[in-house]
Amino acid sequence: MNGLAHLLTVLKKELMDGARDRRSIRSLLFGAIMTPLIFGVMFTVVANRERDAKDLKLPVAGIEYAPALADWLRQQTGVTITRAPADPMAAVRERKEDVVVIIDKDFAKDMARGVPAPVKLVADMTRNESRPKVTRVRNLINSYSTEIASLRLVARGVAPVVARPLAIEDVEVSSAQQRLGQLLSILPLLLVMAGLTGGLQIGIDSTAGERERGSLEPLLLSPVPRLALAAGKWLAASTFACASVLFSMVLTVNVLRRVPWQDLGIRFRVTDGELMSLLALELPLALFLSAVVMFVSTFARSFKEAQSYIGLLIFVPMLPGIVSTMVPLSGRPWMAPIPVLGQYALAADVLGGKPPGVAYYIAAGVAVLAAAGVLVILAARLLRQEKVIFGR
Amino acid sequence: MIEIQGLRKSFGPVEAVRDVSFRAEDGTVVGLLGPNGAGKTTTLRMLSGLMRPDAGTIRVDGADVVADPIGAQRHMGLLPDSRGLYPRLTPREHIEYFGRLHGIDGKQLAGRTDGLLSRLGLETLAARRVEGFSQGERTKVALARALVHQPRNIILDEPTNGLDVMSTRAMRELIRMLRADGCCVVFSSHIMQEVSALCDRIVVIAQGTVVAEGTPDELRRQTGRENLEDAFVALAGLETEGVL
Repeated sequence: MNGLAHLLTVLKKELMDGARDRRSIRSLLFGAIMTPLIFGVMFTVVANRERDAKDLKLPVAGIEYAPALADWLRQQTGVTITRAPADPMAAVRERKEDVVVIIDKDFAKDMARGVPAPVKLVADMTRNESRPKVTRVRNLINSYSTEIASLRLVARGVAPVVARPLAIEDVEVSSAQQRLGQLLSILPLLLVMAGLTGGLQIGIDSTAGERERGSLEPLLLSPVPRLALAAGKWLAASTFACASVLFSMVLTVNVLRRVPWQDLGIRFRVTDGELMSLLALELPLALFLSAVVMFVSTFARSFKEAQSYIGLLIFVPMLPGIVSTMVPLSGRPWMAPIPVLGQYALAADVLGGKPPGVAYYIAAGVAVLAAAGVLVILAARLLRQEKVIFGR
Repeated sequence: MIEIQGLRKSFGPVEAVRDVSFRAEDGTVVGLLGPNGAGKTTTLRMLSGLMRPDAGTIRVDGADVVADPIGAQRHMGLLPDSRGLYPRLTPREHIEYFGRLHGIDGKQLAGRTDGLLSRLGLETLAARRVEGFSQGERTKVALARALVHQPRNIILDEPTNGLDVMSTRAMRELIRMLRADGCCVVFSSHIMQEVSALCDRIVVIAQGTVVAEGTPDELRRQTGRENLEDAFVALAGLETEGVL
């Protein structure tokens, strides 16, 4: 009987065992659902925020002092003036309101005298989520101010352009598109997590769990090459991890396709080609991550120890993901053959609409599979050590 | 046939096995008798090929266990110290998994599985997952798994440990059956009645060394004690150490 037949026997048994293990199935589902869930929530929040800024409900305190400003504000699209809270500062501090405008009771008098009339904008600039709204309000009040200034100049027989020596023109390259890029930059990280968590339980259960139950000793008494044993267990964990990545991707893409991008002013579409490209990156990576899990769990003394090692290890593939949200990894395809980092860089390129060449996918795939192979061989070596077989 | 010569094994400063040699012929039952911590399990682990001895040779039907453990394992069936089963698998699945790992498949595997299930009285439990099985039922499944490749040499580490009276009887019956089939059976125990009831030959181990070997009668004669238990206590040196 050759090694391949042994491998298939082990793989079949581990898959059957894993499919009956609630914890393994739960970890597969968790890996699959995590990403689409986070994306769904994230985009709903973003869409709501944009809508908030568009349909502006603006509390103005002392609106009665500035009837002309009030009329002007009401004429702007999407603006509704609401009653201001009794204590505007407290309301903003306690997050009951994003922004409150306070008009001084001397507003009309100052306007009449032609001196700057004070308008207070109460906001908390540490709050990211209220920023679009605050900006919109500031722009509105600035526009009103400019309009009044022009009228005053005209009344004095001066052309308003005299007071505008410079004309600033915003050339918006891709504010919304860039924001989307920022949001999507977390996707490769989430896919890595899906690949890791999907096969985590079955990977630990079939190695550290096998020893903890005392079934490793009888198993090693059967004439199975250790490499076939390690490879079978690795492929079983990989199957779970890949299933997790696959579900995760398909669900995430469906979520992304349901987001009303045009409402957000973004042109965005995930093509099937991009989906396939991401899968071509993430599936080999899932095989690598499963190999890491299996090697570490073979080494660990117990199920619990394996879990705590992997709890620490989870941060390693997360690091480049976290870095990539600050320093974009896109456009650096030379990273391709570095496991995990390569997948981040290439995925960022795919999502950025600059798909890398096939050679890069091959380089990335070969690199992670080779690394996985080394880990499986090392795990097989561990299975020959008395300390590993009988515990330490 | 099992031949062990000059076996030695240390774990750091602890000498678990110092000098163990014995032979077990086909068609006989050999009992490895000794108090807890005498080195029985370590000896059996070396015999099974999973632990490398520091010195000594082990041959199973002529195959060198140290040089070719996997080759030698084909001739051996072992019930290890840890019965370790897969809680989510049924007895039938356990037997079939190990059968396949031994390269048995198809009709032959189905036939052997059915045979073992009925021989061990596991038919009614065959399709139930083993989680929740009693100690005796677990031992039976572990034993069936070890016998699926029909080994000629059977090694049992404390086979009646944790078994009730009925299961113990069934186990003894099985050991006799295996002997009748011409198998070589080696089992370890610290229980006197068991050894005297079953064994053709007894190997007494104490502190990692074989202190006596022979038939029950020979041991009685050697020590001058009528009772085999007294003989054992004398041989294991428990009296002089003041353990008892």
